[in-house]
Amino acid sequence: MTPAAPNDYVLGLALLTMGLPLLAFFLVFFLTRRSVGLSCFISLACSAVPLLCAWSLLLGHWRMPVPLLWEVVWMSSGGATATFGFLLDPLSLLMLTIVTSISFLVQVYSLGYMAGDPGKGKYYAFLSLFAWSMISLVVASGLLQLYIFWELVGLSSYLLIGFWHHKFSASEAGKKAFVMTRLGDLGFFLGIIVILLHLGDLSILGLNQNAALKLGPGLLTASALLIFCGVVGKSAQFPLLTWLPDAMEGPTPVSALLHSATMVAAGVYLVSRIFPFYQASPEALAVVLAIGAVTMLLSSTMAMVARDIKQVWAYSTVSQLGFMLMGLGAGGYFAGVFHLTTHAAFKALLFLCSGVFIHHFGTNDFFVMSRSGARGLKAPMICLSVAGAALSGVWPLAGFFSKESVMGVLAGLSNPLWLVVGLLGAAMTAYYTFRLLFVMWRPCESAEDPLHGGGHGEHAAWAYWVMVLPLIALAVFTVFLGWGGRGLEAFLRWHQEGVAEAHHGWLVWASVLVVASGVGLAWLEFGRAGAAQAGFLSHLPALERLFARRWYLDDLYRLLLDYVVYGFFSRLFTINDRRVVDGGIDGFCRGTAGAGWLLSFLQSGLLQFNLFSMVLVIALVGLYFLLV
Amino acid sequence: MMAEQLYMFLPESCYLLMAAALFALSLPRRQSHRRIYAWALALSLLGVAGAAAALAARGEMFFTAYRVDLFSQVFKLLLAVATFLVITICGDLAGVEERYHPEFFLFLTTCTLGMMLLISAVELMTIYLSLELSSFSLYLLVPLRRGDNIDVEAGVKYLFIGVTASCVMLFGMSYIFGAVHSTYLSEIMDKLPLWIHQPAAAVGLLLTLSGFFFKLAVFPFHFWAPDVYQGAANQVTAYIATASKAAAVALLIRLTSLTAGTSLYLIDVLMVLCVASMFLGNLVAMVQSDLKRMLAYSSVAHAGYVMMGVLTMTRLGYAASVFYAMAYLVMNFAAFMVVVKVAGEGQDLKIADLAGLHRRAPLMALTLMMALFSLAGIPPTVGFTGKFMVFTAAMEDGRFWLVLVGMINATISLYYYLMVIKAAYLAEPADGQEPLAISASTRALSYALIAGMVYLGVFPQHFLGLAENAVKNIF
Repeated sequence: MTPAAPNDYVLGLALLTMGLPLLAFFLVFFLTRRSVGLSCFISLACSAVPLLCAWSLLLGHWRMPVPLLWEVVWMSSGGATATFGFLLDPLSLLMLTIVTSISFLVQVYSLGYMAGDPGKGKYYAFLSLFAWSMISLVVASGLLQLYIFWELVGLSSYLLIGFWHHKFSASEAGKKAFVMTRLGDLGFFLGIIVILLHLGDLSILGLNQNAALKLGPGLLTASALLIFCGVVGKSAQFPLLTWLPDAMEGPTPVSALLHSATMVAAGVYLVSRIFPFYQASPEALAVVLAIGAVTMLLSSTMAMVARDIKQVWAYSTVSQLGFMLMGLGAGGYFAGVFHLTTHAAFKALLFLCSGVFIHHFGTNDFFVMSRSGARGLKAPMICLSVAGAALSGVWPLAGFFSKESVMGVLAGLSNPLWLVVGLLGAAMTAYYTFRLLFVMWRPCESAEDPLHGGGHGEHAAWAYWVMVLPLIALAVFTVFLGWGGRGLEAFLRWHQEGVAEAHHGWLVWASVLVVASGVGLAWLEFGRAGAAQAGFLSHLPALERLFARRWYLDDLYRLLLDYVVYGFFSRLFTINDRRVVDGGIDGFCRGTAGAGWLLSFLQSGLLQFNLFSMVLVIALVGLYFLLV
Repeated sequence: MMAEQLYMFLPESCYLLMAAALFALSLPRRQSHRRIYAWALALSLLGVAGAAAALAARGEMFFTAYRVDLFSQVFKLLLAVATFLVITICGDLAGVEERYHPEFFLFLTTCTLGMMLLISAVELMTIYLSLELSSFSLYLLVPLRRGDNIDVEAGVKYLFIGVTASCVMLFGMSYIFGAVHSTYLSEIMDKLPLWIHQPAAAVGLLLTLSGFFFKLAVFPFHFWAPDVYQGAANQVTAYIATASKAAAVALLIRLTSLTAGTSLYLIDVLMVLCVASMFLGNLVAMVQSDLKRMLAYSSVAHAGYVMMGVLTMTRLGYAASVFYAMAYLVMNFAAFMVVVKVAGEGQDLKIADLAGLHRRAPLMALTLMMALFSLAGIPPTVGFTGKFMVFTAAMEDGRFWLVLVGMINATISLYYYLMVIKAAYLAEPADGQEPLAISASTRALSYALIAGMVYLGVFPQHFLGLAENAVKNIF
């Protein structure tokens, strides 16, 4: 299908959407950072206009015949050319709308959440930087552009997590997030180079149409898997899933925007973006499916024992991303994207609600929140419950419909294992979500007196309402988005008419049953009158510890870093480096021999040793030439 | 005829003039730093102008031992710019004793002159002599530092390792001469591919390269780097880390092109050195606490990235290496400028000393962050584009594993660069540390460097084209 060139009106709207947040970043960062009010205004204005543009683009192209493409050559070297531009098709328009909407709502919410913070100007600058990178990522017309903004999104995530300088763990978490996602990007970058060299073309349209014909099956699978490494890093999939819960150290609106609704979803978006490319390689799709399934199960178990409200949602985000990848891996393009859409709405809502509580009570522990009177905050409590129910897949909320469509795809696979895994995951999701909700609704009477933490409860009423209004907007979406599934499906499946995914009547009942059992177990343990509010896992301490310590994944990484990198390589290579090992050797010499000559030998001998190793290497090389 | 010759020799003449002027200035008993600094600044600016003006010069001189073409002129311009930049941060040479200031500028000039001659030299003896002219200037510059004896130790170490590398290089040159009976590169280029399968020729070439491995701090010739980076005055380190690396890249490209890629064994060896440099540099940099030492090891790693382009021995690979050398010059200079400005007394900087830099000097912290992100290869900085070009070139040559190793190393390097950024941005300043006074000219320089790093990263096309045209001349 040949793309059309956009007319001037569309071009203007698209460039406005892409350019304004960058403008806001520069203005705020370099000029108005000191004046908080002006910074907020600029940043908000520059996210409101893209929001309107994105919606008008989406509605204006609801039945678009061909994608719109606009490109300029960015650089060319040898035979390879890299372009910069935008590609508007149903998928990117949908994602663009999601990103701009949530970004705008979060910016409004932050007015209240960050009220009184001295670094608010800088915070808004970074939010704008993020919005710009994310928008440019979504509309990218080629993989290289996508990769560049992919990295920039990671960079702004690092800056936003590290935003709270005074929290040491925040800066550590930012570093971890950055390095871990970069580890995945390593594969992504290699994949891009492989494609560039063998296809000579990095455009997404070209990749989707020609890759299967021009690349051999082996090369196709290899490059698809390499690119998937980037997805694993960015979407926090197994085995790189531990950075996301740590990233929750950043401010809550940032968690809502980056670490649930948009940035981490970029991984899933990438797979859907080049979905025909993935479809050409069944092996790669099988890996996507398996990784998604493992991640979903692992992180659901972790969420079952967390006491920190943001941690619960973080694990849940990881597991839902895994679920989306399962949908995509099973061949359900629409199912994955639909779940991505609804998830963006209800997960952002969950985080923003939690932010209100955290802001008010000054703690992240939802048991403590509940005892401090979380029920008193009516509007956030209701929104939290609606979003939680949507996450669990309760009819008629958005989550129910999207989850059903993923389940439908899983049921269509020949191996029933994947459906069982999906249902198991859904049961665990319902259990940990309602565990949290029941605890929040029913404070444990036996506990000590209500605590009043060092929260910001005394803040003005306007701050509260500025935070609640975005919640209501998102709640509306959470409730009604599910009913738009059919329309969305027609929109997204524009070029493959009549490939509707199969529907299984019994499946609806099976999944309702599964969700009900999860909710029921949560009610028994946490919700009913006189419940002990201790999960069944507290009777299995070994298992509980395993889940709480994230299946010891972090310890494994720490061990690798300490022993292999620091302990072995770095030490090995620093043997020559006297300023690092000096103290050790000196002490050793004095202690054992006490002989001055030995000491002086070591001190002056190092240069000889250096020269000796130089000559040795040269000699070895010479020998190599003689022998080969 | 005369005018043409003068035009070809214009950049070198500028630095000869500069050296003479600085020598005259060093004679009076009483000297004022301001006056010498002003002269040096003005003359080095003249040098940049001369190098830029002579960009179009073409021709051969000195019995065809000296060739002026786009390749040499691009590198001369780079060198002139690097020298000018280094001199701009010598406003107060707190790290060097007052009475040595004229000599400091003089040796900086002779070193630049030596490297300019080196870049244009196409005959082995000329290459050797120019190399020694620049090296001896550096041997003298390193121990000029004020204070404890760490400088002397570093100077001695530098001298010994440098002399050994020179010996090895001379030895290698004698092999080449023995094999092809000529010292002219053009003749060697004609005959060497026939002889390359003889061990003598291949070994000879490799040993000849070692002189430049030493300059570039490639494993196993890197031992001087940490000590010299730490022991030399900050400005000298900045010079070694930028200008002298660019010259080394130029010569590595010139000499490896002699084989026309016919020796697979040579490529294997280069690959081993490249991988070893990357791993050694990055892994050891992780445990450093001194900022300049860390940058020294990071320079070892970057030498590895540059080698990756060189060892492909294709036009694309060479162009990528030239571009990387440009990129490295800009980003590394930005990092060292911050080091010089933050270490007001000319002292060594621990990474921990950077704590709270974002409060004490926000612009310096920003410059440092951009420089380090660029070194780590984060888009949209020039470091990313440079790495992208180098990796693409290596991949096009079919070296998947090499690129994988390079990418792993880029990720490792991010880890320790982030430690520095963390200190600068996330730690609070120690009590009693005043905000740094940053002059307007430094401010302008910082903005220019940041803009340069982003501009080169986002719009590399022009410079990439220049690099591609430049390397066309060496084949």
